[in-house]
Amino acid sequence: MSALRVAAVVRRIIAQFRRDPRSLALLFAAPLAIIALLGWVLSSSGAATARVAIVSESSQPASAAVVSRLTAALQGQPTVVVNTDVHDAATARQMLKDKQLDLVVDIPADFTVQSPKLQLVTLGLNPTGEASVIPNVQQALFKAVAGNLGAALPSIERSTVYGSPDATTVDTLAPVVVGFFVYFFVFILTGISFLRERIGGTLERLLATPVSRAEIVLGYSLGFGFFATLQVAAVLAFVLGRFDIPALGPVPAFAIGLGVHTAGNPLISYLLVLVLGLGAVSLGIFLSTFARTELQILQFIPIVIVPQALLSGFFWPIDQLPSLLQPVARVLPVTYAIDGLRQVMIAGADLTSGQVLFDLAVLTGIAAVFMVLAAATIRREVA
Amino acid sequence: MTVASSSTTTSATPAAPAVEAVALRKAFGAINAVDGIDLSLPAGRIYGMLGPNGSGKTTLIRLLTGLTSATSGQARVLGVAMPSRTNLARIGYMTQADGIYPELSVWENLSFFAALYGQRDRAEIVRTLELVELDRRLGTPALQLSGGMRRRLSLACALAHRPTVIFLDEPTVGVDPALRVQFWDHFHRLAADGATLLVSSHVMDEADRCDELLFMRDGHVLAQGTPADLRVRAGTDNLESAFLHFAGLSASPPAAAGPTGEAAR
Repeated sequence: MSALRVAAVVRRIIAQFRRDPRSLALLFAAPLAIIALLGWVLSSSGAATARVAIVSESSQPASAAVVSRLTAALQGQPTVVVNTDVHDAATARQMLKDKQLDLVVDIPADFTVQSPKLQLVTLGLNPTGEASVIPNVQQALFKAVAGNLGAALPSIERSTVYGSPDATTVDTLAPVVVGFFVYFFVFILTGISFLRERIGGTLERLLATPVSRAEIVLGYSLGFGFFATLQVAAVLAFVLGRFDIPALGPVPAFAIGLGVHTAGNPLISYLLVLVLGLGAVSLGIFLSTFARTELQILQFIPIVIVPQALLSGFFWPIDQLPSLLQPVARVLPVTYAIDGLRQVMIAGADLTSGQVLFDLAVLTGIAAVFMVLAAATIRREVA
Repeated sequence: MTVASSSTTTSATPAAPAVEAVALRKAFGAINAVDGIDLSLPAGRIYGMLGPNGSGKTTLIRLLTGLTSATSGQARVLGVAMPSRTNLARIGYMTQADGIYPELSVWENLSFFAALYGQRDRAEIVRTLELVELDRRLGTPALQLSGGMRRRLSLACALAHRPTVIFLDEPTVGVDPALRVQFWDHFHRLAADGATLLVSSHVMDEADRCDELLFMRDGHVLAQGTPADLRVRAGTDNLESAFLHFAGLSASPPAAAGPTGEAAR
């Protein structure tokens, strides 16, 4: 192992990037732009007010009283706007279709005082998104019913062990997004860079020099690790920091950065992401063995990247995955990065936490396995 | 198939031959790209490998540099069995593809490969660039060079560490005639300094510049000798006819030709 040869490979990779501003932009500008967009979308979507109408199809005299009580209760809610001009179910349904209403509280024809029953109607084009208005309305309904009975319902407050139950989607997604971006971009860039070594004939020339395969993999890891380091720094700074720009003339006030609260030490988050990135470098080198063109590297995205997005705990907790998929999730590196990042950023864990150490150890092991695979397959001729 | 070397010079040196192959064979599936070649090439000469595309020239070079492993037999360079990573420091290899980084400048390309070979003498790197007439283009990205210039840079990358055995795979393709003459003059200077060069080509007009020729076809060495010697043995005055003669495809039949088509495969 010669430090001089490894350094030569590192210097070369840095020089190549310096002369390729588009790849640099992909590495830095793209994740920031996407995270900014994500933050913007997620932070505004929760605050929408629900437009609600209350209609009755029942001929029961009691139903009119229910309508007026519900209306009164809902009107007190800050996130609900009650449309009192709509009285029949058909009009209300049409207004749902025309997107003039978000939710209709329907008292059905078979409503009786003995078996009171209400229907909550939404459009159904995007059930998950539409459901976000339901909790507010349900809460108002509980209050209305309780008031009607002259009883007091216990007030329910939610609390969490870590973080806050009011944590926004941005707060909880931030750790996930940081890990995922680094993995994705580092993998794509190394895969394509190394493929170009193979098809451009430079690998043939490299292998005709005294440089060893281990030195090549190490040089690549350090060279791309250098850029991954800068990328993680930029992404973390953007996610954790927040710089408010006051309104100026026609430009409204806005903020740069998401200002996500991190409970733990950002340097530990950094370490986790870096080890993940080193694994991605070697995975890129390894998989470049099985591609003949840049297009074929992109074909690895649905095979390598998308399953990790679905299974790594990004969207669903791993325990809730189908039992056949759980073992798969447990061998994916992103799974451990996301777990570790959540432990650190949300739960405030540090390096004394067994869970964080375990995640780091697994990520290091996976990176080592990929490095060995990468070094072993370098000599393979172009697929 | 063993072909006795007709080398007469440097036979006084008891040292091992610069390049050696013993029953060297490389099979790709059912095809023997190199089919049992024996070679013993003394140092300090320029050897030309001539043969049509697919005759096994590049595979032979890759076996001799250790880039691919032999199916059977052995390759030795400077007395060391290949593959040997440390031995590569004494070997220069100019690949058929340019094998340079398009985004990097001339200087960055050359100093990168020189560094991998352990060459840190800047003056030597500059001298190499002067030889290929790229010393005024140090900062130009390889992407912006003409095809001939890229070829010259590729040659420089194989020479900057002053190797003693040099494999050149079609080095003069795309190089203009004037510079081609300079290339060959330099090859002769390197050989005079003791380097051994093995140059592949499929154009015959370069063959006369070599000290010795290897006619290759279908993974075999058909004949080996000085250009003059080969012409005499084939009973012809041009190397093209000599090649056809040894390939058993005699177009202009020399007096003592064997049955036509014999052994041609």
